[in-house]
Amino acid sequence: MKKVYCDVSKCLGCRSCEIACAVEHSKSKTLFLAIKEEPLPINRRKVQAVDEIIISNACHHCEEAPCISACMSGAMYKAPDGSTQHDEEKCVGCWMCIMVCPFAAISRQTKLALKCDLCKDRTEGPVCVISCPTKSLVIKEVQK
Amino acid sequence: MNYVIIGASAAGISAIESIRETDKNGKITIVSDEDYPIYSRCLLSYYLAGTISEEKLKYRDDDFYKKNNVNAILGKKVELVLPDKKVKLSDSTIVPFDKLLIATGSRSKTEKIPGVQLEGVLGLRNIEDAKKIEVRLDKTKTAVMLGGGLIGLRAAYALHKRGVKVTVVVKSKHVLSQILDEEGASFIQKEMEKQGIKILTGLSATEIVGNKDVNGVVLENGEKIDCEIVVIGKGVQANTELVKGTDIKTERGIIVDDELKTTVSDIYSAGDVAQTSDLITGEKTINALWPNAVIQGKIAGLNMAGKNIKYDGSLAMNSVEFFGLPTISYGITKPKGEGYEFIVKKKYKKFVLKNNKIVGFVLVGDIDNAGVYGSLLRKKIDISSVKNKLLENNFNFAKILPLIKEHKDKFFEKEYDEVFAEQINAVKR
Amino acid sequence: MNNEKSADSSVKETLCVACDRNISTVFDRFEAMQPECGFGQLGVCCRNCVMGPCRIGPFGEGAKEGICGANADTIAARNLVRMIAGGAAAHSDHGRDVAHTLLATSEGKTEGYAIKGKEKLFDLAKELNIKTENRKIEEIAHDVAEKCFAEFGQQYGELQFTKRAPKKRQEIWRKNKLTPRGIDREVVEIMHRTHIGVDNDYENLIQQGMRASLSDGWGGSMIATDLQDILFGSPTPVRSVSNLGVLKEDEVNIIVHGHEPTLSDVIVTASQDKELLELAKSYGAKGINLAGICCTANEILMRRGIPIAGNFLQQELAIITGAVEVFITDVQCVMPSLGKIAGCFHTKVVSTSPKAKFPGVEHIEFSEEEALPIAKKIVRLAIENYKNRKKELVNIPKEKMELIAGFTSEYVFKMLGGKYRATYRPLNDAIISGRLRGAVGIVGCNNPKVKHDWAHIELTKELIKNDVLVVTTGCSAIASAKAGLLLPEAAKKYAGKGLQEICEAVGCPPVLHMGSCVDISRILTTLCNVITEGGLGEDISDLPVAAAAPEWMSEKAVSIGFYAVVSGIYTVLGLPLPVMGGKNLTEYLTNDIENTVGGKFAFEPDPLKAAKLIIEHLNKKRELLKLKPMMYIK
Repeated sequence: MKKVYCDVSKCLGCRSCEIACAVEHSKSKTLFLAIKEEPLPINRRKVQAVDEIIISNACHHCEEAPCISACMSGAMYKAPDGSTQHDEEKCVGCWMCIMVCPFAAISRQTKLALKCDLCKDRTEGPVCVISCPTKSLVIKEVQK
Repeated sequence: MNYVIIGASAAGISAIESIRETDKNGKITIVSDEDYPIYSRCLLSYYLAGTISEEKLKYRDDDFYKKNNVNAILGKKVELVLPDKKVKLSDSTIVPFDKLLIATGSRSKTEKIPGVQLEGVLGLRNIEDAKKIEVRLDKTKTAVMLGGGLIGLRAAYALHKRGVKVTVVVKSKHVLSQILDEEGASFIQKEMEKQGIKILTGLSATEIVGNKDVNGVVLENGEKIDCEIVVIGKGVQANTELVKGTDIKTERGIIVDDELKTTVSDIYSAGDVAQTSDLITGEKTINALWPNAVIQGKIAGLNMAGKNIKYDGSLAMNSVEFFGLPTISYGITKPKGEGYEFIVKKKYKKFVLKNNKIVGFVLVGDIDNAGVYGSLLRKKIDISSVKNKLLENNFNFAKILPLIKEHKDKFFEKEYDEVFAEQINAVKR
Repeated sequence: MNNEKSADSSVKETLCVACDRNISTVFDRFEAMQPECGFGQLGVCCRNCVMGPCRIGPFGEGAKEGICGANADTIAARNLVRMIAGGAAAHSDHGRDVAHTLLATSEGKTEGYAIKGKEKLFDLAKELNIKTENRKIEEIAHDVAEKCFAEFGQQYGELQFTKRAPKKRQEIWRKNKLTPRGIDREVVEIMHRTHIGVDNDYENLIQQGMRASLSDGWGGSMIATDLQDILFGSPTPVRSVSNLGVLKEDEVNIIVHGHEPTLSDVIVTASQDKELLELAKSYGAKGINLAGICCTANEILMRRGIPIAGNFLQQELAIITGAVEVFITDVQCVMPSLGKIAGCFHTKVVSTSPKAKFPGVEHIEFSEEEALPIAKKIVRLAIENYKNRKKELVNIPKEKMELIAGFTSEYVFKMLGGKYRATYRPLNDAIISGRLRGAVGIVGCNNPKVKHDWAHIELTKELIKNDVLVVTTGCSAIASAKAGLLLPEAAKKYAGKGLQEICEAVGCPPVLHMGSCVDISRILTTLCNVITEGGLGEDISDLPVAAAAPEWMSEKAVSIGFYAVVSGIYTVLGLPLPVMGGKNLTEYLTNDIENTVGGKFAFEPDPLKAAKLIIEHLNKKRELLKLKPMMYIK
């Protein structure tokens, strides 16, 4: 499986990844229209910092994903490519996944849980990687 | 290898998946007393509220058993576990096994008061209960919930959404007294009352009255509440009857070790029926929660298939949302005895600490970082260096990066390593 | 929980109150903004045209030039000199307003002003070649004001006050084309040069930035200071008090915040009006209590002894005490959050400048022509609001510290020599003999990136401990005031032996409060007088002096930093200029620039390390001047 890694030594906290993520998950998929949509699109990737370290944090698509065990509706599941995906149709907003995610990578959006889906509907792959100006975000094969 | 699994809910289904992950060819038989597709009983209150359709109760596809090559015996109950590796079904069929997993779950406790056998007095434990309640809704104006725990409140919320006038009768001083402190519970209570759900605390029901059909509940103070439905949410009781007379040790549930083995070899137990170690206290206890059952089932399955995975214990953890107010309680939220420290923020976050380690917390409203706090709790990390940051609005995952660095041995999961992989681009070059 | 945010305990107290009432302050907004964008911090984000916005990656990945081809040094230099333009414009526009007020007053068109600083008027007239014999004060003032006004629109030549600088310094400026030609012109040229496709050479850009900064320091700011002294009187030492504890529970509290004493001085007069005092008493108040925040506070402190409620980061906290009836604002450093915060209390925020309006804030436009009536109207508004104060919401911290302020370049003469032998000689001698190592100006703002007031206080203490005389202005002065450093007693507590002796002999504190940020021009004038007195070299860059802004945040500070450096003064900043992404530019500003102008920047966040850098610099200058070794501390 390929997933997105953040090299914290290169993250400058510009939040381009947040904007790109939101726009990619909008209806119009362009910035100037996306900012007018209702509801506004939401980024699944968050730039966070502590002292000198800045990190762009999103779902880590854990091998042993606690969210999948905790999900009582089967909305969280492992896709064939190994990524952890979320089926909005099945989600009832019980927030068990938020309760157990060690990276706080799932956010509560009124009625549904929301998290990184590795831009599964995008043939060129995750948009955050392309948007990162310092190449702090890279897509790499997971080491076994 | 001949695997037999009793019970087709969280633990049982999870075990099937983890067995098949390891052993593609072994024979798996599952026995369930419910003749119904694989469904999540946690979703019943959502179904009852009308939020989801019956179809959405299912959390695995209809061809799950077929795809996983499982022989499913549905609609039959296992009466007894027999010596020499056999189980006896309710229709007297004998099913032999090499490895057995008892995942029979639990049932609603009943109230031992007069009238509890009247029509319209129900639990909300399985799809049958839910359908019985649903059928009565047309002729129901008022409903009374006995019990202020999660089931009572969830049922109350569901029926309120269906337009029924609801009163909740709670024996304790406040609702959710098992999992929340008074202040945390007050937010939920206030919101529910604001929305029109009546909550009576410090009271018990002494009698349920009616003429074949329930028409009211009498409380210990003499007050009578007219109603057409009574839902009993007084907790659950493990279904351990089937091991009577065997060497399988039970207490409140079936006692298991850290590999989910019972006291009889080749027999495992998982889920609401199993009494495992509590991750924080170390005592043998049942934390009857969906995620615990899933993980226990998974580990039991792996171990039945020959592995030796250790289960580090279960935790009490609950997430619930009523009227837009999400609440999470985790670990020990109402400690008894000495040596505990509390840090509290209004509206509302509360941490229970012992020796500078989080042993429990309650979050109302802002639940975003529950999983991060939970990881600190499970890994028993000394949080002195971030103690003053826990309550801040801007707390997030990044704030524990220094702790992750410091305690590499405790944050052993692969994904934590990846956070600090600065050599990513060095490798790339 | 809030301990780390400030060295001032009144802040912690008030922040707790804010927290309890869910009022977010600058400190909360700062946390919520983290992490800040690294491109911005490094100065390598350019938004000057819409081919961009462009960013240059500092790690060698991604774009190495902007779309037009500008490299990191060019982009950082353009951004930096635009900051100088912003800062210089603020100071200079303030000076323009004062010149206007003086002009209008001299023509009898204003109400509430007088020409109080007659001595200064005559001195300035002489300097500007304006006839004074047999002329009315108003006529002289008129000509002085007009001549100063003319500096703003001047196109060619040299700004008048650059001639105060030592000859050598003027030569350095002329040689390097740094002498400012006209106040507005230099700012306009920055805006032109930083437009896309104009000046792309970072050294050339900085040269214009330097020239513009001089048009502030030796232009707009100096005009502001001197004309303010003419209108409101030259400050002389005055006793007062500082910190939020100056607010009174039983009086009508009025806060004035901003920068122009053309407003605040008149408010002082209005607040002392007998009729209004009676009105206040009729509402049950014991009196009218006026206090200031930021530079306008310093202006009315220096001349009228009005107490100071706090500095930049405390402006919201003043409202949160719940004890302020009216909070008057004019221009600069006023946070737009004030309106919202005041909404949680009975406090009325009133804006007065047509240039500075805020959403949700009442605007009572101020004009010099009707200054006093308008000021009285505002004071009356405060008195009427006194009854709306909610006792249960009042939390006035007890912190209150006495201070002495009011030192000017003119006063130093009198202070050191006495009335009849006004002279700088004792000061120069003290430095030459080794009793004083030198002098340092510690100035500038607060910034939540630095623990509030902490860096100012630590640096000040460390320097005076090492026999360095400290002069201070602006929010830094307020920080020192609150910490008790503006008292003669502080010399015994914190100063080295040499400085102690001087303070005892003269009767002054070891830290001299010289006024507001535009009053940094007083420091420049003082240095000129020191050179003139003799024995300490021929140029400002010869002097054992330095400047420091340990907690700066504004563009004004960038302009000040530059005019200090370009005047030959070693300047240490507690936060770096946002240029580090341009490596050559950074090297130039912290090193090579010294070869041209005799001064340079250093960036050092640790106040003790900054003190060390400064002391080393002072020692180096002492050596070059072949001065006697230090008497007490080596």
